[in-house]
Amino acid sequence: MSSVILAVSEKMGQWLQTTPGWMQSAPESIQTIGYQFYQTWMLNDNWNYFTNGLKVTALATIGALVIGVILGVLVAVIRSAHDSSRKKPSLLLRIFNAVSKLYITIIRGTPMIVQLLIMSYVILVPRGQDELLRCAIITFGINSGAYVAEIIRSGIQSVDVGQMEAGRSLGFNYGQTMRYIIIPQAIKNILPALGNELITLVKETSVATVIGLNDLTKGAQIIVSKHYTTMVSYISLAAIYLVIVLVLTKLLGMFERRLKNSDR
Amino acid sequence: MTDKIIEVKGLEKHYNGGKIKALNGITTSIQKGEVVVVIGPSGSGKSTFLRCLNLLEEPTGGQVIFEGVDITDTKVDINIHRQKMGMVFQHFNLFPHMTILKNMIIGPMKLQKKSEAEATKLAMDLLARVGLEDRANAYPSQLSGGQKQRIAIVRALCMQPEVMLFDEPTSALDPEMVGEVLEVMKQLAKEEMTMVVVTHEMGFAKEVASRVLFLADGLLVEDAPPAELFGNPKSQRLQSFLAKVL
Repeated sequence: MSSVILAVSEKMGQWLQTTPGWMQSAPESIQTIGYQFYQTWMLNDNWNYFTNGLKVTALATIGALVIGVILGVLVAVIRSAHDSSRKKPSLLLRIFNAVSKLYITIIRGTPMIVQLLIMSYVILVPRGQDELLRCAIITFGINSGAYVAEIIRSGIQSVDVGQMEAGRSLGFNYGQTMRYIIIPQAIKNILPALGNELITLVKETSVATVIGLNDLTKGAQIIVSKHYTTMVSYISLAAIYLVIVLVLTKLLGMFERRLKNSDR
Repeated sequence: MTDKIIEVKGLEKHYNGGKIKALNGITTSIQKGEVVVVIGPSGSGKSTFLRCLNLLEEPTGGQVIFEGVDITDTKVDINIHRQKMGMVFQHFNLFPHMTILKNMIIGPMKLQKKSEAEATKLAMDLLARVGLEDRANAYPSQLSGGQKQRIAIVRALCMQPEVMLFDEPTSALDPEMVGEVLEVMKQLAKEEMTMVVVTHEMGFAKEVASRVLFLADGLLVEDAPPAELFGNPKSQRLQSFLAKVL
């Protein structure tokens, strides 16, 4: 262990000689942080781990979001159609509703990390990074779908029942009324909650490191395993996530305001 | 072909497996061009009766025959028949995410496959008739209650229905806005639109109705022209009701 520290401080000494003068006269703790920063970002072009990881994280998030929203709308419409029908629903609808309920129960009742482990070691068994990414997208998508479904269902319920009656009385069937009248209003009501889901998803993809996906978090872990730069690497990692979330929050805020303007 | 446009036979609506009987066997018919006003104390089933006519409420018994077709038959595609039955609600139920014009043309465009130009022309003509053509591009939230209800009426008219159903169209309005809505309805009656109106506006009933139905406790108690029904109420139930509202 001490030989490792010796090797590091030797390299740090070499590095110090190449830096501006004020760094050499700075306190030792500042010098250590500076050196870790150098190792984390500049040495051997290590920043590539972050940019490549960021690409994977972005792909996983976007892919999962698309699957999640599609699944979510589907499940939410099935659940709402089942619950709102006055007569006894048809057998097909009751089967779909039961499947949807089971899906939501299982996904919300088990940890994300366990779902990932089962998906990658039991069901899909991916080989290589491309397959790993696909596996992660599918797992996060299915997971997100359950939460999005409940968000959308609450959005559908938040629309006044008179809207459904007005649509039906014009002669629209249930599906058309949902599509033209209920869903557009529901989406507007749930946009903040849906934004939260997106932000959660960005952060949650970091869990995919446990199945070996080279995402942003894994990138930082690789740098740490090479240089023992725990402090600067992990804080850099946190800063990157924070910046992504801040940008997304800003964008969602702008989007919400634009939607509000459309009906004042 | 008879000139009966709607025929109601033994209409029943029970809730909670028969414990609550909102409608308990109503039989009547509505002729083409008639203005039928439905009155009655609250809880008498008059709104339920109206909503059963276009199956917004599914009757638990009896038949509703619209233009010779029994629409309570589950094999009948109710959506096609609803296109010919315009409905106006107490709370307007305009679509808040669409402009007034869009509110009016979405039905004709999506359901009757009219072109946007054709539907817009029809909508603008109707808007002009209620004096709101300058609000075509406004959103419902920018209108007053009376304006909203007038739009709701022309939205239903835009589908060119055979009959118009009104479910307490003035009950949610400020008193000074009731007149403008009733005026539009009177105009419609003059044009011989078939109308079924649930209302508390006894003045409107006296002036415009060709027949008045008095419902109480889910039953059709009296059915007569307004002069006779208001001037010479036969049943105890109607006498005490009129004593309270007039």
